[in-house]
Amino acid sequence: MDADRSLHLGYMYWANGTHPAGWRYPGATGDRAFDPDYIAGIARAVEDASFDFFFLGDRLATGPEYQFTNTSVLARPEPFTIAGYLATRTSRIGLVVTANTTYSEPFNIARLTASLDHITAGRASWNVVTGADPRAAANYSRPEHGDADARYDRADEFVSLVRHLWDTWEDGAFVRNKETGEFVDGGKIHALNHVGASFQVRGPLNLSRPPQGHPVVVHAGTSERSRALAAREADVVFGAAASVPDGVAYAADLRARAAAVGRDPARLLVLPGLTPLVGGTPDEARAIYDQLNELIVLDEDIRFGGAGPDGWPTAEPPVRREDQGPGRRNLGALSQRLGLDVTAAALSGVVSDAVVQAASPSGQQLIRTAARRTGRVPAQNLTWRDVMYAHVWGGHVVVGGPAEVADYMERWLRAGACDGFIIQSAFLVGQLEQFIALVVPELRSRGLFRSEYAGRTLRDHLGLPRPPSTLTAGQHAGAVHPAGATA
Amino acid sequence: MTGNGSTRREMHLGLMFWATGTHAAGWRYPGSRADGAYDIGFIQDVTRLVERAKFDFLFLGDRLVTDPALAKTNPAQMSRLEPFTAGAAIAAATSKIGIVVTANPTYYDPYNLARLLASLDHLSRGRASWNLVTGADALAAANFSRAEHWDTEKRYDWADEFVDVVRALWDSWEDGALIRDRRRGLFVDEARIHPVNHHGRYFDVTGPLNVARPPQGQVVLLHAGTSDRSRELGAREADVIFAGSHEITSGREYYADIKQRAAAYGRSADDIQILPGLSVIVAETTREAVAIRDRLDSLLPEVERKPDVRAGALGQATRRRDEWGITGNPVEVADYMQEWFETGAADGFNIFPPFVPGAVEAVTELVVPELQRRGLYRREYSGGTFRDHLGLARPRNRFESAATGSQAAPSRLAPAAAANS
Repeated sequence: MDADRSLHLGYMYWANGTHPAGWRYPGATGDRAFDPDYIAGIARAVEDASFDFFFLGDRLATGPEYQFTNTSVLARPEPFTIAGYLATRTSRIGLVVTANTTYSEPFNIARLTASLDHITAGRASWNVVTGADPRAAANYSRPEHGDADARYDRADEFVSLVRHLWDTWEDGAFVRNKETGEFVDGGKIHALNHVGASFQVRGPLNLSRPPQGHPVVVHAGTSERSRALAAREADVVFGAAASVPDGVAYAADLRARAAAVGRDPARLLVLPGLTPLVGGTPDEARAIYDQLNELIVLDEDIRFGGAGPDGWPTAEPPVRREDQGPGRRNLGALSQRLGLDVTAAALSGVVSDAVVQAASPSGQQLIRTAARRTGRVPAQNLTWRDVMYAHVWGGHVVVGGPAEVADYMERWLRAGACDGFIIQSAFLVGQLEQFIALVVPELRSRGLFRSEYAGRTLRDHLGLPRPPSTLTAGQHAGAVHPAGATA
Repeated sequence: MTGNGSTRREMHLGLMFWATGTHAAGWRYPGSRADGAYDIGFIQDVTRLVERAKFDFLFLGDRLVTDPALAKTNPAQMSRLEPFTAGAAIAAATSKIGIVVTANPTYYDPYNLARLLASLDHLSRGRASWNLVTGADALAAANFSRAEHWDTEKRYDWADEFVDVVRALWDSWEDGALIRDRRRGLFVDEARIHPVNHHGRYFDVTGPLNVARPPQGQVVLLHAGTSDRSRELGAREADVIFAGSHEITSGREYYADIKQRAAAYGRSADDIQILPGLSVIVAETTREAVAIRDRLDSLLPEVERKPDVRAGALGQATRRRDEWGITGNPVEVADYMQEWFETGAADGFNIFPPFVPGAVEAVTELVVPELQRRGLYRREYSGGTFRDHLGLARPRNRFESAATGSQAAPSRLAPAAAANS
């Protein structure tokens, strides 16, 4: 297997899958998000398939609309504790923990991530996010969420500061000589005395340097600021592109930016998210896809009661109020997406060629997506229901048998659109099992994916070297800790 | 309270886990681990050791600063794993024992801490506990972008409100809010999920939490301290008080004071367990125990040695009780604990092992059986959660007990059909 031409695979864990109705699929799991044995079972299945990492997402607010869009994020255990738990239930796979820089303190995050790296013996990773849900501000005593620039200003300083805190203990700071009684070499423990726009942190961290030196840093995003942060700090970029040309352009942009800040662009791995909807054959996969979609609750299916301004229910009697629904699961929202009015269309009606031509470019792309996923074609058998479902379940989905899914992944890799994927499942556990049983062997037979782990740490899996410390004796900007100087 | 059909009151025991022991030279003692602080397998082994001895809990302390000078006085506190990540890893390797995690509200947001604690409670299936400290260490401010260290009054004002918010967030999901009705396509009953809408002096928190209600309902809360503010917080909120008394008279005074203050908050004496910290060196004979103690003290850095050690008072063959703890044979140690337990000074102890794992093994092999023989300590766990070990009922959810009642509250959403078709 050519390491440069093979895939890195992460697995993003969603307790109920990425499909909004995945939890309703016959046999799918929907009630075990808080069961540690369930989470460990998924992580171990992914580890047995020698994935690079197991990815835990996070948000800092919840809301009633998630019940129809993404039940996995309504309520779930917090990621650091899950990862600490999984550290013991797994042995080789990397563990990616999402932590938000807007609503946490660098000293706390540096400790949590460093500690996780010790507990996992070098398998920890931090996915840096600045906050996708503005409602978080109301959970954190903040008058406002802050605009992207304010959040990224803070994040830029935050990430750099955390890296320096990881380095405040040099490798070899512990002596632990029982004969002489020398426990540490105080000269290898450094204060930071960081004074910046958002943070003032003296240090040192109260934790030994992480086994990986720096836990692997992950970042996602397409905005200018997020690309800049990723190019400077990220080892892995969680990409959002859903087509090969977009993926190529995104990866090329990030690598150019990384080179511009003096990094080796080959050491920045771009891994787009991908939900493979896998069946034994293409027809089987499409049958699963259709069956799943029929379980989606559209706005027309919901009778809405009263709701307060926060979206949570009030004591009013139930009456239908469409304006308070999830809002994008109806023909009105679809019309906006297509750039033409289809509110009078019947969901079972066939999409005509004339309509395809009248749609906006993004609308045409949506119709192509629906056609690709279902195998049906406009003017013949592609219906408005198919388009509606592609609209409701967006994201990067490929529907097919093992060969089609592997072809798709290989095409992205060969085109330079990615270094691998972050795989997600439409529902659990069936779709994960299918991917592992059918697609992973196909990828291996093509020499595109490892059969077993070669190394021990996540950096090993990703082919990334252990970074030297930014703070070695005599080189750091801050003064030696006063007590350290005399120790 | 016992598995023997007796209603006799039983002690509660915890283990204060300091990886290199609670004695400053514990790491140098022959056979002890000097490098256990970062070895989670070792920490899990020690936890399983006290779980086999039916301890109520393992206690993970924390501080938010360090200083290399601690290497001489308290190496276990100089650096260590962060307690939530360590606590979760311990949860994965144990099944009964309570897991106490120290967290300082002064440098956390209530939403973050409520999530961490509720999650640990889920992952441990109801064994999580929060040791609330407000942080007396002024240097911590400098690690958290604070211009100054808050005084006790401000820290406790903040902590009092912080606890209120965390407790409300834990209740924001009623039991049974996750209905997962596949037929109707309803995952949650929104009427059983409540914003907390807290608007106070320090915090504005809308909620709800994005974690289901913890298995224990409310995670067990520990607190320690002797100041008036700390006694009040403990008497009002704590399930366990970790006390610092070193001699029995002041121990009784502290015990009576806390129970009296708790009563003023409408709590019963059984609602709050007072557990002094106790260093124990135990061996088959007094002489052996004292020899261990002397050997330990002789390993201290010169400046830290007590005058009698420096003078070479080794081999003294009597039971030793001093500010530092108790050194003796199993009967002497059990006598000491029993006296505190039966004369209104303690409901049990948080055991400090001077070195690890030897001193922990000695307590489990020698002291616990002696206490069990006397009927003072459980032989089996009677339940699966930390609240069970403490004899505490699972509290009612504040939102559920509201006048409307969860059953009567209307659900906002009612899908018309099983699936659109």
